This record gives sequence, C-alpha cells and structure tokens, in this order.
Amino acid sequence: MTISRVLVANRGEIAVRIIKACHALGFESVAAVSEEDRNGLPAKMADRAVCIGPARSADSYLRVDAIVAAALGTGADAVHPGYGFLAEDPELAAACIKYDLKFIGPQPETIRKMGNKLKARALVKQSGISVVPGSEKVKNLQEAMTVAEDIGFPILLKAAAGGGGRGIKIVTEGKELSLAFGTAAAEARAAFGDETLYMERYIPNARHIEVQLLGDRYGNVVHLGERDCSLQRRYQKVLEEAPASLIPESLREELRKAAVAVAKEIHYENAGTVEFITDQDNGKFYFLEMNTRIQVEHPVTEMVTGRDLVKEQIRIADGQSLTFSQSDIRVSGHAIECRINAESPTHGFRPCPGLIARWQSPQGPGIRVDSHCTPGYSVSPYYDSLLAKLIVHEENRVKAAGRMQEALAAFVVTGVKTTIPFLRLLVCQLDYLQGKVNTCWLEKRLKDFAL
Amino acid sequence: MDLTESDVLAILNLIEKSSFDFFQLEQGDLKLTVSKGGYAREASDQSPGITQQSDVSPPEDPAMFLETPVGQSERKQPPDGQGVSVAIKGLVPIAAPMVGIFYAASEPEAPPFVERGTTVDEGTNVGLIEVMKVYTGISAGVRGVISEILVSNGQFVEYGQSLFLVKPEGSPDGEGDQG
Repeated sequence: MTISRVLVANRGEIAVRIIKACHALGFESVAAVSEEDRNGLPAKMADRAVCIGPARSADSYLRVDAIVAAALGTGADAVHPGYGFLAEDPELAAACIKYDLKFIGPQPETIRKMGNKLKARALVKQSGISVVPGSEKVKNLQEAMTVAEDIGFPILLKAAAGGGGRGIKIVTEGKELSLAFGTAAAEARAAFGDETLYMERYIPNARHIEVQLLGDRYGNVVHLGERDCSLQRRYQKVLEEAPASLIPESLREELRKAAVAVAKEIHYENAGTVEFITDQDNGKFYFLEMNTRIQVEHPVTEMVTGRDLVKEQIRIADGQSLTFSQSDIRVSGHAIECRINAESPTHGFRPCPGLIARWQSPQGPGIRVDSHCTPGYSVSPYYDSLLAKLIVHEENRVKAAGRMQEALAAFVVTGVKTTIPFLRLLVCQLDYLQGKVNTCWLEKRLKDFAL
Repeated sequence: MDLTESDVLAILNLIEKSSFDFFQLEQGDLKLTVSKGGYAREASDQSPGITQQSDVSPPEDPAMFLETPVGQSERKQPPDGQGVSVAIKGLVPIAAPMVGIFYAASEPEAPPFVERGTTVDEGTNVGLIEVMKVYTGISAGVRGVISEILVSNGQFVEYGQSLFLVKPEGSPDGEGDQG
C-alpha cells in the first residue's frame, strides 16, 4: 500500500510546511487541529481538517489515541508528527504500525534508543565516537559530588529523558551542587516523568554543530551537510546557519562521518539530526544527542542543498529508496534562519500572545518565510510562541547576513510583540559577523543590546 | 434592524472572548440569548442557548450550523469555543467529547441507546465513541427530549461535533414533551 493521504499531527508553521510538501507530491492532507486551531491556516490549506480535542495540547496534540482515531476516521494512510508534541514519542510510532498507518519518521525502537540520552551516549560510545566527558546516571547527591570532582567544575546536570535544551542545569562550584541536584531531579520528574540525571563537563567555548541525515529502509544513509546553531538563549536556538563555514573543513568532515556512522549503526530510517558540541579551545568534538525527527531549522539545509527534506521524509516512509547518493549532494552558498517569536525582548522575552494586526513578511529573491500567521490571526497562549522562520540564502555568509538585515528591516508585525527588533540588532553585532561566538555568547551579550 | 447570520456570528465571537457568561439582546420582536458554560436557564425561564425569534431567516438545516467539520468549504461556522453552547430554535446540541467512531448502540444487534423522542436527563448515555478499541460513553448533559439525530451509527466524528439536538425540558412550545 502506498501513501495517498497524510494526517498532519501538528500545528503552526510546521503543519503548513508539511501540507505544502504533501500537495507538492500529489498527496491529500488532513490537518489534525485542536479546537483553538480550527480556523488556522493549516485547517484552511489542508484538504480536510479534523478537530481532535480542546485547546490544551495534553488533550489534543499530545493524545496518541486522538491522532490515530483521526487518521483512521479520515482514511489517512500516513501520519506526519512534525517536531515537538508526539514527534519523538515511540508510542505514536508504535500505534501507527499497529493500525497499519505509515509513521513518517524512524522505527519506534530507534526513537526509544535515542530518546533516552544515557542509552544514546552508551550506544554512540560503542561506535568509537566521543561523548562529552561525564557520567552514566547519578543516583544521589553524594555520587554526583564524587563525579563532579572527577570531571571538574563547571558541570552540567541533565535529565536523561530530556532533550531540545530542556532539563539542563549548570553548576559552577561544589557548594551549588546540592541545591541544583534537588531542583534538577524535581524538574525532570515533572517535565519528563523520569528523574534520572546525568552529568557532563561544561564546555565554555563551544559551538553547537549538527549534521542533517536521511536514511532509507534499504540501509542507504546520506548527510546533507551541517548547521551551526551556536546562537542560543536558555539552550534554545535563536539563529541557525548552513553550512558551518566558521569551523575548519577538516572538523566538519569528521562530524559528517561520525553522524553517518551513528545512523548506519542503528539502521536509521527517515530524516534525523546528530548534534555535536565542538570545543573551540582544543578542536575536539563530542556527541550531544540525536533528534529522530525533522527539526525547526531544517530550511537552512534545504536552501543550500536544494533538497526538500519533508518530501524526502514522506517518500522514505512510503518505502521508496533515496533517489540520490552522497555524491549528488552539493552545498551551495550560505543560508541563515532567524526564529521570529511572539515574545517581548524588552521584558525578558516573555511570551506575548494576542491578535496580529499587521503581518507583512519580506519577499524577494533568496528570502523564504515559513509561517502560519496572517493579519487577523490570534496568537494562542496555549502553544509555543514561534510565529515564523525567516530564511535567507546568498552566495556567501557575508551576503547572507546582509540579506538577513534587509529582510528583518522589511518585516512588519503589529498587534503582538515579536523578537524582530532584537534579531535586527543581533545580526549587526560585529562578533556575530566575524563569527567570534560560542554557545554562551548571546546570553552574555544580551544586556548590551540596546533594546 | 435585521440581524444577519454573520451579525450573530460576530456577536458570538465577542461573547466568547469576553468574560461575560450570559448575554441577552432584545430589539423589537427580535430576541437573542447566549449563555456560556453549557445550558443555563435564565430567570425568566426563556429558552436556553440562543433563541432567535424574529423574521431573520433561520438556517434551513440546523445541522449545517451545528455540525462543524472544520476547514471545509465556505460554510459559516459558529465559533464554538470551549464551553459555549449554541442552539438554534431552542434546541441544545450534545457534542462529541472526543474524536472517534460514534456508535448508537451497545452492540450491532442491540437497539440504539436513544431515538427521536426519547426523554433524557444529564446522565443518560446516548451513545459510544470508540478510539483505538476503547469505548467511552457519551452523557446527554442536558435534560429534555431527543429532537434530532445528526450522525449515523459507525460514523467518524470530530471532537465537539454535534451528535444530537435536544429540546430541553421546559421549552416554550412544549413540542416533544412526553407528558
């Protein structure tokens, strides 16, 4: 059986993105929407929309049973989970298989293996790839103290079940450990239902580099180059670019090889990303985690490779083999993405839901905007604050930064506060333009931005 | 002044977003009553939900208004946000509590839980919804008489979709009262 109708089990810009890919492939789309999203752009664009529950995501977008019922009831034969929500929940992938629906993502077993960060570290170590020096799980404070003295402060406390930058605490000295351990365990239990923690050495002068992969069920794995996502605030990515032209080509090549090795080792199927930390002080790199889904920042890779990753995801789930090999992948030019959020940069980036009055996004060659927003759209307080992703593509990094400045200047949104004014200042910073940044640079410089 | 369908929808929208639970508009022979949080009887014992008593042409098919497959065609849809109950001509809908397959009876050969004319109270089980082999009963949530059945046995229903219309107990014209 081949795919002809895809249920989109997500919302916002990624739902729009997936619906476009379905239509481009000639497939029908069904948008699974919460009551809050009934009149949103995905509901309008899809061939059909089906209401799966109330606004609260725990009662709608996070309900495996509602998603499966919606897919079966609308005659969909595949489910695309997008990112977030149930994208990395092995239960949805397993339920899809059980009900003869194609899950557009890896096998549930793969999601399970990589979802537990400790298991993933152990697995990756076996294939000879370094992980950040640290511990297996730490059972109690006393053990944490011993491990901390062993690997040296500062250290990071992480939730084994965490990911996407959530559930992380930095501890700079011994006397902070007791308090941090208690709160981190409590937070991990609340957020992920699992209080298991592990520790890692904190690398102060680090870059976050990740490699995009595609694998099919016939064992073919290709990478589509890497992305630099070092500009982060509270472990959340703010701006991403491709390729990672600011680190040595030899290191990039090592990262790509390591990522492909990880994917081959676990017979990875569909789109995935292996994240690494590179230490700019000693040139070493370490495996961080693998994300078993499409990522928010996938468009920068699409721009420089000319490949539609979401279409490829659907094709792979449909049982097709990759239509290109590694040597067909060419990276051309440079792409940058900025995340436009409904947040007030002048008030500690607090979320600002509300009614969008004007929405005028930039247009022109080399500019792409992925968004679900329109004038008159009401930004819901129930979901995350991502309004749009602004992506530019130019022949080199300097020109791309210039194009991003222009595009941000032309982006007009009124009615809700957005991160656009902050991003305009960010892309003008000399350190950013010269590439002299690391993963803590943005946090440190925030207070200097005259907002 | 005539209230058009879109005027009514605009009013509903405003009420939904406001902090008011109850709204009543009287203008000549037109009367519009809206209550949030389900069926609320007003002091004067008027019809619950929205009552449109005027020469404004009511929608021909109440189901058109109440069944709300989202994102489909150009149909006007009521903004049936959480807790807003909408009823045309004095009827109150029973909405699907979840997405899934609707069953009118406990098993294929069994008689349906309710039919047109069945008297129900808040706790009466009016049907089942099946999600991944789990069956959940649907409570009427309102006291009255089943006036319309909007879905058929085995039909796929969305969350919030109107399944039945109930003429609530104590409705003005008494139609459907069983004694």
